[in-house]
Amino acid sequence: MEALGLLLHGFAVLLTWKTLALMMVGLVLGVFVGVLPGLGGPNGVAILLPLTFSMDPTSAIVMLSCIYWGALFGGAITSILFNIPGEAWSVATTFDGYPMAQQGKAAEALTAAFTSSFIGSLVAVLLITFLAPWISSFALKFGPPEFFAVYLLTFCSFVGLGREDKHKTVIAMSLGLLLAGVGMDTVSGQLRMTFGSTDLLRGINFLVAVIGLFGISEILLTMEERLALRGHAASISLRTVLAVWKDLPKYWLTLLRSSVIGCWLGITPGGAIAASFMGYNLAKRFSKDPDSFGKGRIEGVFAPETAAHASGTAALLPMLALGIPGSGTAAILLGGLMVWGLNPGPLLFVEHKDFVWGLIASMYLGNVVGLVLVLSTVPIFASILRVPFAAVAPMIVVSCAIGAYAIQNAMFDVWLMLGFGVVGYVFKKIKIPLAPFTLALVLGSRAEDAFRQSMIISGGNMKVFWANGLVGTITTLAILLLFWPLIDRLVASFGKASPPAAKAEA
Amino acid sequence: MRNLIKIAATTVALFASAPAFAGWEPTKPVEIVVAAGAGGASDQMARMMQAAIQKNNLLKQPVVVSLKGGASGAEALMYMKSSDGDPNKVLIAYSLIYMLPLSAKLPFDWRELSPVAVIALDQFVLWDNVNGPKTVKEFIEAAKASSSPFKMGGTGSKREDHVLTVFMEKKTGAKFSYLPYKSGGEAATQLVGGHTESNVNNPSENLEVWRAGQVRPLCVFDKERISYTTKVTETQSWNDIPTCKEQGLDVQYLMLRGMFLPGKVTPEQQEFYVDLFSKLVQTAEYKDYMEKQALKPIFLTGKDMLQFLEEDGSLNKQLMTEAGFVAK
Amino acid sequence: MSNAELEIAVDDPTAPEENSPAVTNSRTVDVAVSLLLLALAVVLAWDNWRTGASWDSTGPEPGYFPFYLSVILGGASLYGIGAAFLSGKEAVETFVTRAQLRRVMAVFVPTLLFCIAMQFLGIYVASFLLIAGFMRIVGKIAIWKSLLTAFLFSAVMFVTFDIVFDVLMPKGPLEAAFGY
Repeated sequence: MEALGLLLHGFAVLLTWKTLALMMVGLVLGVFVGVLPGLGGPNGVAILLPLTFSMDPTSAIVMLSCIYWGALFGGAITSILFNIPGEAWSVATTFDGYPMAQQGKAAEALTAAFTSSFIGSLVAVLLITFLAPWISSFALKFGPPEFFAVYLLTFCSFVGLGREDKHKTVIAMSLGLLLAGVGMDTVSGQLRMTFGSTDLLRGINFLVAVIGLFGISEILLTMEERLALRGHAASISLRTVLAVWKDLPKYWLTLLRSSVIGCWLGITPGGAIAASFMGYNLAKRFSKDPDSFGKGRIEGVFAPETAAHASGTAALLPMLALGIPGSGTAAILLGGLMVWGLNPGPLLFVEHKDFVWGLIASMYLGNVVGLVLVLSTVPIFASILRVPFAAVAPMIVVSCAIGAYAIQNAMFDVWLMLGFGVVGYVFKKIKIPLAPFTLALVLGSRAEDAFRQSMIISGGNMKVFWANGLVGTITTLAILLLFWPLIDRLVASFGKASPPAAKAEA
Repeated sequence: MRNLIKIAATTVALFASAPAFAGWEPTKPVEIVVAAGAGGASDQMARMMQAAIQKNNLLKQPVVVSLKGGASGAEALMYMKSSDGDPNKVLIAYSLIYMLPLSAKLPFDWRELSPVAVIALDQFVLWDNVNGPKTVKEFIEAAKASSSPFKMGGTGSKREDHVLTVFMEKKTGAKFSYLPYKSGGEAATQLVGGHTESNVNNPSENLEVWRAGQVRPLCVFDKERISYTTKVTETQSWNDIPTCKEQGLDVQYLMLRGMFLPGKVTPEQQEFYVDLFSKLVQTAEYKDYMEKQALKPIFLTGKDMLQFLEEDGSLNKQLMTEAGFVAK
Repeated sequence: MSNAELEIAVDDPTAPEENSPAVTNSRTVDVAVSLLLLALAVVLAWDNWRTGASWDSTGPEPGYFPFYLSVILGGASLYGIGAAFLSGKEAVETFVTRAQLRRVMAVFVPTLLFCIAMQFLGIYVASFLLIAGFMRIVGKIAIWKSLLTAFLFSAVMFVTFDIVFDVLMPKGPLEAAFGY
């Protein structure tokens, strides 16, 4: 088995005291930012990214990915104890996790969340281990038309499957795409939408936008909404852990289903956020007792957490093999890779074996270490929330400002961050979705470049997007997804089957 | 024991060289400004300098690399322009200092900066996929015979890669579709995947895929062959690549790699950096880097450098005008 | 042991009153945002038209996509205005109450001042002032606790960024006095 040999090599790269120490630091920082309201996965990674600029790529990515695992674990803590989801994909965890905590079963809920996170990412890592080499040879088939088709698929999946008002999704996406186009146009070498400003010349950095949109706006929202933080401190004893683990086999179907959904959506670029909802919804749908969901059922914690972590982990695969991020955090890691001179894409697996397999090995190690760490330190982390918000809020503001400034050493970016903070606050309140907005900012100019490169290749002929089986399939799938709500309704009106997705939310 | 001697030697060297820059010294970390994205040739060069300076104790202050690759490097130029009088920023410049003001109407002139030294010249090589034609002649013939134009990958639009493509078209009559990518690395990957027929990358950008046996160098755009004769692949060295002129394609282009300080710095400050870089080019790290990246050695400062820049600048302007890339 | 629970209730001295009058409703904000976006769309469409928004021999010109995106954005904004007027339900929904707005401003204004101060005093002094001031004035936390927390946080940040990682942050007269 080539993969196993390479993986063992990866472990060898990792097993140095320095890397292990970085891993621990990353996990602790990750859980820390995951627990803090207003931070969370993508923000934590974005803010801490510049810290790793001076490290070598392997250490840096190991530390960052551990921050990422830590943040995922941490997000579950606040979702369950305080009903504050740290991440979009922790939202579904609050449905049953918070009621459990209120019934005095916080310890069980946390153990369930951590264990299922662990299982979900383990399944996804196994997938990466044995599929990655195949995907990387497959990836060389991707030229400009194929890349464009994948971007199209991602955008269409948001328009088609989102729950918000359609016109608001369109606003979010077109605004994001427009802002992504500011600066120099790669294909023609001309400047556009800069209005003569030297600050706009370099374009709008999406990290700055994300820090503002999520970090700053969350502070504003938290300040406005939460009268007081009410929570339950929990301590986890070994007995609770074992009791939950003993029950695990009963839920094997739920765990398996959620893992499969998570892996599939994670590999589809941009699908990660949908995974936890879909995992939760399907678990409820196939349950014998669907009414007990939402009232503190442990399965309602297992299902979304497994799916969220499986997709969060699987999302790293398209990023590494294709250079396409599967989630917001993966997108930030992608930016990080480029900073370290690693061109994510087909040849990464060939040219930087040490790095890739070191990262995959770090997923195994990070998860095991992370599980032990969170299980043992939950009470300490939960106590962060005992620190008055009046002390935490300005610290988050300062961290955001440092993060925004450090990316390009530009004061303009701090103002931009503040502006995006206000935009994020208003958008969240009038329900303009931030996910497609961020997605468009990240992928917008790449999608446009890919499209125009395709046009140069074909001499302006659109048939290039159906030129071979690969690109044709993806393009067709994208168009199907775009009209999915319509198709779904048609199908539903023929059979008596009710549409699955929207129902469980009610 | 040997280490001890080494330390002693370094210490002596440090003291001996100290009086040389008695005039002015940086008091803050020195920022090497890179006008390109991460992992590009300029970035690699900056990281090499950072390592060489630190390992050889050439500077008491730390060296920081700052990437200003936004807007195809225009960001770095405007950053330097707005840092008048700040002697802690050094730009690694290349042909963009002539081309961007012409193609994008960027309000910038290299004469506004303080030139320190030209430290290398970068080559351009015509590459194709290993499954493609084996010589320049066959390549040109295949390009002419092809029903749809051959696709040429390159970095950016209306820049050195694009200029070379236009001149290849002019000299041979063959037609190419130029595909602008974000980086040389991307252009290399796309050539390997067979999405383009060729590219004109710098040696460093295609080095890895050449070693992996995925691309073939056809010719180098210089009057003479690259001087390095150490084997890079199983069978070939840089010196084994013929010049394009030998192969009947009379196109030449070399690109400067030079260091600039912001405008309005004092002569002592400029002097300090001239001294720093003349020491830097003597280090083993620098020499090793030059060979690995197949860069052409050159070291010009002061008047020689100014003269070089004037000539190189007008040559670039002429090429850009002929290629039709000067914005109205 | 496993069920040892303890309730933490963090009281917020400046909690907004429950029935504070609404400053504005969601519909008004929806319309205002749509109008702003419409204006932005018009400006960007004009700029891109100037850059060139047609389809030439090598495919779309640089302004092509941004131009049509501006048109789409403008269209969606117009639709949004229409939808906001037609829907009766949203009109009742409060966007923000006066008490809430006061609290949002209590964090936004200091943040704004912090960003301004950062340019003159450097990020570390500014963050000391922000944290200490916010804790003391908004949080009503004891002055010594505020000062100590602010000092420790700024100091840790300074050491982490400027000393350990060589990330250059804006610095002001205080740092200069110490030779940084």
